[in-house]
Amino acid sequence: MKINDAKDFWSGVMFAAFGLFFVVFSQRYDMGSAARMGPAFFPTMLGGLLLLLGVVTMFKGLTTKSAASKVDRFHFRPLLLVLGAVVAFGLLLRPGGLLVALAALVFISSLGSDEFRLRDVLLLTIGLAVLVLIVFIYALDMTVPVLPAFLRT
Amino acid sequence: MDLINNLALGFSTALTFANLAYAFAGVLIGTLIGVLPGIGPIATLAMLLPTTYALEPTSALIMLAGIYYGAQYGGSTTAILVNLPGESSSVVTCIDGYQMARRGRAGSALAVAALGSFFAGTVGTLVLAALALPMVELAFKFGPAEYFSLMVLGLIGAVVLASGSLVKAIAMIVLGLLLGLVGTDVNSGVARFNFDVPELADGIGFVTVAMGVFGFAEIIANLEHKGTRQVFTDKVGRLLPSREEFKYALPAVLRGTALGSVLGVLPGGGALLAAFAAYTVEKKITRNPDPPFGQGNIRGVAAPESANNAGAQTSFIPMLTLGIPPNAVMALMVGAMTIHNIQPGPQVMTSNPSLFWGLIASMWTGNLMLVILNLPLIGIWVQLLKVPYRFLYPAILVFCCIGVYSINNNTFDVIMTAAFGVLGYVFFKLRCEPAPLILGFILGPMMEENLRRAMLLSRGDPTVFFKRPLSLTLLLMAAALVVIVLLPQINKTREKAFQEGD
Repeated sequence: MKINDAKDFWSGVMFAAFGLFFVVFSQRYDMGSAARMGPAFFPTMLGGLLLLLGVVTMFKGLTTKSAASKVDRFHFRPLLLVLGAVVAFGLLLRPGGLLVALAALVFISSLGSDEFRLRDVLLLTIGLAVLVLIVFIYALDMTVPVLPAFLRT
Repeated sequence: MDLINNLALGFSTALTFANLAYAFAGVLIGTLIGVLPGIGPIATLAMLLPTTYALEPTSALIMLAGIYYGAQYGGSTTAILVNLPGESSSVVTCIDGYQMARRGRAGSALAVAALGSFFAGTVGTLVLAALALPMVELAFKFGPAEYFSLMVLGLIGAVVLASGSLVKAIAMIVLGLLLGLVGTDVNSGVARFNFDVPELADGIGFVTVAMGVFGFAEIIANLEHKGTRQVFTDKVGRLLPSREEFKYALPAVLRGTALGSVLGVLPGGGALLAAFAAYTVEKKITRNPDPPFGQGNIRGVAAPESANNAGAQTSFIPMLTLGIPPNAVMALMVGAMTIHNIQPGPQVMTSNPSLFWGLIASMWTGNLMLVILNLPLIGIWVQLLKVPYRFLYPAILVFCCIGVYSINNNTFDVIMTAAFGVLGYVFFKLRCEPAPLILGFILGPMMEENLRRAMLLSRGDPTVFFKRPLSLTLLLMAAALVVIVLLPQINKTREKAFQEGD
């Protein structure tokens, strides 16, 4: 079978998968009755609707007569570096403190740009660290570890 | 008169030094972030929301409202100078605004946008204040069935305005509703879809979703387009519009304001619909435009800019009085109120009058600040547009991450946001508009709650939604919207309108 509109087709697949997931997963909970709905009732209804909409969208992607469209290429480099930097921040914040986590975030995410320059990134890191200390730690009095765990008293 | 008394109370709250300062901070920061290309009001609000947690609720909401219209205004500046809409509602401003900039009339375009927005904001605020009382009275007549039907209408309205396929937009709403259900079910106490992760028992934070799907996904998408952007920075030109431009702009501002004020109140309405509609109207009614629309006609800036600001103000009406957000930005405001332990709805006005009227009054002071801020400071915003993106996005990420963490002091949320970033990027690649998802996400639990209550009261009889006149009216309006959009003629123009936007 030929896929005409790949964006629609794959959106349909995604919606159908989410719908199916919610329908199946809801069955662990109590359905209740129409008058006294249990925790499974509304998600099952919505999941079923989403599954249906997904199938319709998939079908549209297969049958549409308009010019074929492809899904644009995924750019994994910025995706992985930007989100990887965020994950690194999350993992480092507690053990490493705000300064280490911030440096990791700025450094890793900067690699996602085509024009990475070490000197600029270092300056940016220092500038942001100062700004963040002033805004969040002194002005907003946020409770977050600033220094790495082994330097804290 | 009640209205005068209420506004007096509002201004006495809004004009305290602290609240003026917060409104100013909101407007300033909102404009600052909004000017950056590719970051619209939704992403800006999501990003800056955590900075307001420490404030008391009234000041926090005043600042957030300021951030919202600041970002909206900043988006127009970018639209005019760089031809990059910061957000969908400035798409139409790009068309004629950028052409004016190319002809060396960027200054007039910016001035007309600012003054038109201020006028529209003033009218919008008055409309908001005047309609608030009757709307609250209406809201007290609403039972669970009416609330459910109203939400259906709101969601359908949002679908109509999403660009691209209708079915996909509906699917995004349903997905949003489902994601909103993750967490502990209030009726039974059962934790749903939490995979035994304790952090998920409280549900997914809406900042997490909004920041991941809008903020992070936008950054990644921006990094892959390396198009050079031409900034008309050196010839902003005279700010004061010529007498002729003024003559053309004034009626367009009036029409835009009227249209925007009406469209903003509608469910699913707000800035985007208002701007599109105003531009279309100007195009239709102007005879022999010189220069033609699309080549730098000042009406094409004045009307949509006034309309989107008026719509932005009046879209607060359903949010503040009924507790039902008409669009994604208002959904974020509802989330912000909930974080401050204020349940949005008709009771806010009576239980928290100084917050309610203070917020309304602050919109006027905030709009005034916008004009004062933007016209003289335009040079600074222009400089900001010259900052390379490789400096901007790591800085944005830092503020996002610290912000997400600070909501619950929880690093799990930060990692969840990255997961939603992946999802947002997939949406972007598949051309699935994410705004309806956020709206669904906020409405999910409310909808379930009202559906359950309505069905409990009717003893399981689903016809209750059609038997109560108010509820029936709302559902018929929703059905009418669907029919209108599906009419072939309208469907074609709708697609065309959004293509012009792309």
